[in-house]
Amino acid sequence: MFGQVLFSGLALGSIYGLVALGFTVIFKATDVFNFAQGMFVVLGAYLAVTAISLLGLPFPLAILFLVIASALVGAVIHILLIQPLSGRPMLSVIMLTIALSIVLRSVIELTYGPQGRTLSTPLPMGVLVVGDVRMSYLHLWAALVSWLCMAIFGAFFRFTSVGLLMRATADGHEAAVVSGVNVNAMNRVAWGIGTTLAAIGGLFLGQLQIASPELETIGLLALPAVVIGGMQSIPGAIIGGLLVGVIEQMASAYISPKSSDIVIYLLLLVILMVRPWGLFGQRELGRV
Amino acid sequence: MNTNTSLSRGQAWQKWLWRLLAVAVLAYLPVVLTDRAAFGIALSNMQLLNLGLTQVNLMLIAMLGALSLNYLTGSAGLISIGHAAFYATGAMTAAITGSQLGWPFPLVLLSAAVSGALVGVLAGLPSLRVRGLYFVLSTLAVHHVIVYVFLEYQFKFFDVVGIPYAGAKLGGWELNTPIRWYFFLLALVVLVYAGFAASLRTREGRAMQAMRDHELAATSMGVDVRILRLKAFGLSSAVASVAGALFAYLLTNVTSEAFGITFAIQFIAMIIIGGMGSLPGALVGAAIWLLLPSIIGGLAPRSSEAVGLTRLFLVEGRAQFVQLIFGMLVIVLLIFAPRGITGLGRDIRQLLASWRGR
Repeated sequence: MFGQVLFSGLALGSIYGLVALGFTVIFKATDVFNFAQGMFVVLGAYLAVTAISLLGLPFPLAILFLVIASALVGAVIHILLIQPLSGRPMLSVIMLTIALSIVLRSVIELTYGPQGRTLSTPLPMGVLVVGDVRMSYLHLWAALVSWLCMAIFGAFFRFTSVGLLMRATADGHEAAVVSGVNVNAMNRVAWGIGTTLAAIGGLFLGQLQIASPELETIGLLALPAVVIGGMQSIPGAIIGGLLVGVIEQMASAYISPKSSDIVIYLLLLVILMVRPWGLFGQRELGRV
Repeated sequence: MNTNTSLSRGQAWQKWLWRLLAVAVLAYLPVVLTDRAAFGIALSNMQLLNLGLTQVNLMLIAMLGALSLNYLTGSAGLISIGHAAFYATGAMTAAITGSQLGWPFPLVLLSAAVSGALVGVLAGLPSLRVRGLYFVLSTLAVHHVIVYVFLEYQFKFFDVVGIPYAGAKLGGWELNTPIRWYFFLLALVVLVYAGFAASLRTREGRAMQAMRDHELAATSMGVDVRILRLKAFGLSSAVASVAGALFAYLLTNVTSEAFGITFAIQFIAMIIIGGMGSLPGALVGAAIWLLLPSIIGGLAPRSSEAVGLTRLFLVEGRAQFVQLIFGMLVIVLLIFAPRGITGLGRDIRQLLASWRGR
């Protein structure tokens, strides 16, 4: 029982970590606390439905379509909505992302109908039994791909010149501008990456359940994940995601299925009161 | 701040005339909406904008919520995504004192106010420790906690169908028709509006706005921001809690699903649409948010006649279409008119005045 719960918690947690990583990339670059991240997950699931079921693309092409389309959506959102609002008070920006998720949801529901759609991919469906733990291949794949994506983006930030410029931009806007970095272009890339990571999470969540706008709630678990991990920290986002996944599965297995959200949010509340900068974040200092 | 202390005699008269007219319209409106006719002339559904009195009553309750959130967010600068939770608190208190213990209605409302204030102060406690974004998240967490408690309560003492509420009466005057509800709620909205307006003019109200604009400056002027924050939270959530109890009694049945995160978001949207920090703005925002859906519904042709996009937008996907319009409205206002519709109105009036050469 325990091993089983731990496994599914870690597998789901990997997806949450991926979504949370996308969230952190956006937050670090543009200081936008993105409440639309959950809707980006839904968007990913429906883009996958579009590519696989409606367009009938072969699976590798479908993945390419998913990545390009979601990156474009992210970049366009940055140009149209985020850039005009730079320097505005926090509530305006938060509300903008909430309104964005309302718009995205209604567009998705108007296009595809309010009912969910099944999403089937050629990924293997069987179950791997190790000891008394039954691991579905789908969960294993989801976890593997999530870790692969995290590794790829980690390497991207660490070793490429664009990654370096993006880190520089995130560290200090003014300094980056003075050094001749095109800050807006960097931020656009960050939004593209953030959206894509959420969309890949949506691909798996859509398949583990069904592709429906209700996935937003699951995608929004990235919020407690990033706060628990520490908002400015990339490893924090991943570990926060894993933690949230494990806690969710433990709570629904040992307490009651309804209680999983509340346990996560109670932990969030405790973290906020005791260590607001999160487990891996850096303590913010107040300035006058 | 508008300083209308030096109005000339004529302007003062004009002002009173407008007020009188407003009272007359507000008093006659429910009659029009019930009889579907004005001054003996029958009005079609379209001419009445497809509005019913129940819709107007729900709007009045939403106005209470928007006014109280505006007090908290617009005037005290505390952003809360937890306003639905205070509604839930009120509805739950009303279920305990009203539906279970059978207290009289005014006492039920009073108990809702008290429990709302208590829960509000508790929910405001994180504000002593964390700022800005972190505080917003703590209200989100509080929201989930309270709604979960509501859910558990509902399933323990009632069932899936929801909690029933009945017997709203003030003394011998039973609130059993929409018209009675209308006048009761209207009086309450006016009262709350006047109360908030008066409280913002007091020393503490001004201190609160100073705290919103610059916390450190306010502190150095001798304002105790911690106590002030908790007071703002308590007052705001007491009002929201009463609104929640009224909401439950008006609908006569409520489940925990009613108080989801979307319910909380709608209040933020209302005060952004109307104009942050503006009391009339909160009213305007609530009116738009509650009335627009049924106005759009009135535009729908009979479902057999509709084709193509009209059918998609106005018949099959009407709910989604309304949401789309709301989302776009908020985005457009945020980008082009950050002070909301009332701010936009003020700008236009100033523009007109400058054209006329004052």
